[in-house]
Amino acid sequence: MIEPVPTVLVVDDSPTVRKIVQMTLQRERIRVITAGDGLSALTSVADEMPALILLDIQLPRMDGYHICQIIRKNLQFRTIPIIMLSGKDGLFDKMRGRLAGSTEYLTKPFDSAELIQTVKKHLIGWQQRMPPQYESMRTRLRRRG
Amino acid sequence: MEPQDSIMDGDLQTLGLQSILKMLALSGKTGTLFVHSGLESLSISLRKGQIVALREKGPIQPDLLGMLCLINKLDPPRAHLVREVAQGNMQVELATLVDRNWMSAAEMQQRLEFAVTQSISHALRWVDGYFSFHRQLVAMESRMQPLDIDSVLLEALRQADEWEEMGETQLTRTTVARWLPEVSNDVRSLGLSQEHIEVLCLANGEVPLQAMAMVLMIPEARVAHVMNRLLELRLIEVVDTTLEAQLQQDLSNIIIMSQHMLAQQQQNLAPEQHLLGLIKTLSQCINGLLIHHGTYAKSLRGRGQLPVAEIVRYLERRFAQPLHLIAKQQYSILETAIFANGQLDCMEIINLDKLVKGEKLEEFYWEAVLGLATFLRTVFATLLNDEVGDSHTGRQLSYVWKAFLTEIDQEIQQYQLYRAHQNTQQRNRYSEVTFPNGPGWSSVPHSEGNPYWSPETQRRSI
Repeated sequence: MIEPVPTVLVVDDSPTVRKIVQMTLQRERIRVITAGDGLSALTSVADEMPALILLDIQLPRMDGYHICQIIRKNLQFRTIPIIMLSGKDGLFDKMRGRLAGSTEYLTKPFDSAELIQTVKKHLIGWQQRMPPQYESMRTRLRRRG
Repeated sequence: MEPQDSIMDGDLQTLGLQSILKMLALSGKTGTLFVHSGLESLSISLRKGQIVALREKGPIQPDLLGMLCLINKLDPPRAHLVREVAQGNMQVELATLVDRNWMSAAEMQQRLEFAVTQSISHALRWVDGYFSFHRQLVAMESRMQPLDIDSVLLEALRQADEWEEMGETQLTRTTVARWLPEVSNDVRSLGLSQEHIEVLCLANGEVPLQAMAMVLMIPEARVAHVMNRLLELRLIEVVDTTLEAQLQQDLSNIIIMSQHMLAQQQQNLAPEQHLLGLIKTLSQCINGLLIHHGTYAKSLRGRGQLPVAEIVRYLERRFAQPLHLIAKQQYSILETAIFANGQLDCMEIINLDKLVKGEKLEEFYWEAVLGLATFLRTVFATLLNDEVGDSHTGRQLSYVWKAFLTEIDQEIQQYQLYRAHQNTQQRNRYSEVTFPNGPGWSSVPHSEGNPYWSPETQRRSI
């Protein structure tokens, strides 16, 4: 019997950030998928229905606010918690993130422990949010991995 | 499993696992026995008083196929094929190996029997915990022939006694060991037995003692004895997973901080400022790594609070020499960088703008960037090898580090491109003006704000 594990999508144009977040969360038994730009991120959301999204604001072509808005407008994906990652610590940026529909805001450079804590907080009850077709797919994927 | 299915339950202090199993065997019960202790749990499926399957739930999920590959009992391509079919289920893995004739049915039975005995032997030592027996038989995929409880208990108790006889030892069933990176001589000359060699093969920093015992089908206590011997011979070291988690987090924070600085300085449009930003990022990253190593260096850790002077001496002894070598052989600008209090002081380089301007300043900055990037690589490689060696954590950190180095290299290449572009533009402009006489490279005047990339700089490309 295999226990299902949550999948977190990390969207950041920096490979360093993607790999660090991946390494940090994998240690916590969280499956991590990554995307380097907005379009790949939206494809991953549709394909994988992650339990949580870590989304950088400054991305090539389509910024994080825009991606967040697209996800929030989709009925199937609107409940996915989105944690915005940004180097900007200003109140205006945080507010803009909130208006776009983000759940929480993490300022770069973030601390690994803080990242784990925030992710875990928003993963509570992830299985209830998951449509059945995605859950069975995830189990298959995890087994393959 | 519904609570009303339970026909017997209680705590292990009142009724031990041995007595429960004996009772169920004597009465020829069919059902599932659940035993919990702390974070660990065991479910044993019984049919007519015999064990038909067992599942252990705990922090360890042994990778049987990976381990069989490590001891040369299975080829990695075959392991890959089986993995795809079995999807992480050990019972299915074994059954698939038998189906494909890569393992005999007898060996599979022997392995399953051993795994059951090993788990029960471990659970026999649980003092606190509770149990419940349910009439319903939980379906578990297993091709194991039913096992007689008495003989399993006998062997399990023998194995448990062996552990008790070990006396005081730092080793537990969750202990993970790995080869010492310093080992380079031929271990065959040490006259090690087959058992020792197999344990050594499995000591890759990922396989816990319990899993080694399972794959080698030798009791955990014996594996512990073998490990003790290998520790004495300084062939392996015990991996502290908690420490490695802390170490990984600390290094991740340094890399994230440096990457953030790198991203911030990308906004500098002026080339001099861009280079200065790179110098600051690189030196801050080096100093972050030095502070980290002052806490996690193998010879410093586990000794409690150490005097700062001792840490500083250690760091300077370890890194001052490579810095001098880089300065002497390639990047003489680094001679102005000094070690002070275990940190690299680059203030003289950073303040160069007070002494030189224009192209010369850019030249100095460029050399400093290349020198510091080289030194940064040396520092990271040295500390990683010392702290975690070629372990799972080490490999993961190397993977992240490579990504960060790629980002640094991209920044450096961007500057190289800028210089090449400037160089071409300047040359074209000069050709247009002086074409009739033909331009001489050495006689080209250096104009302010539009510097040439000198041949020396061109040579220093990454």
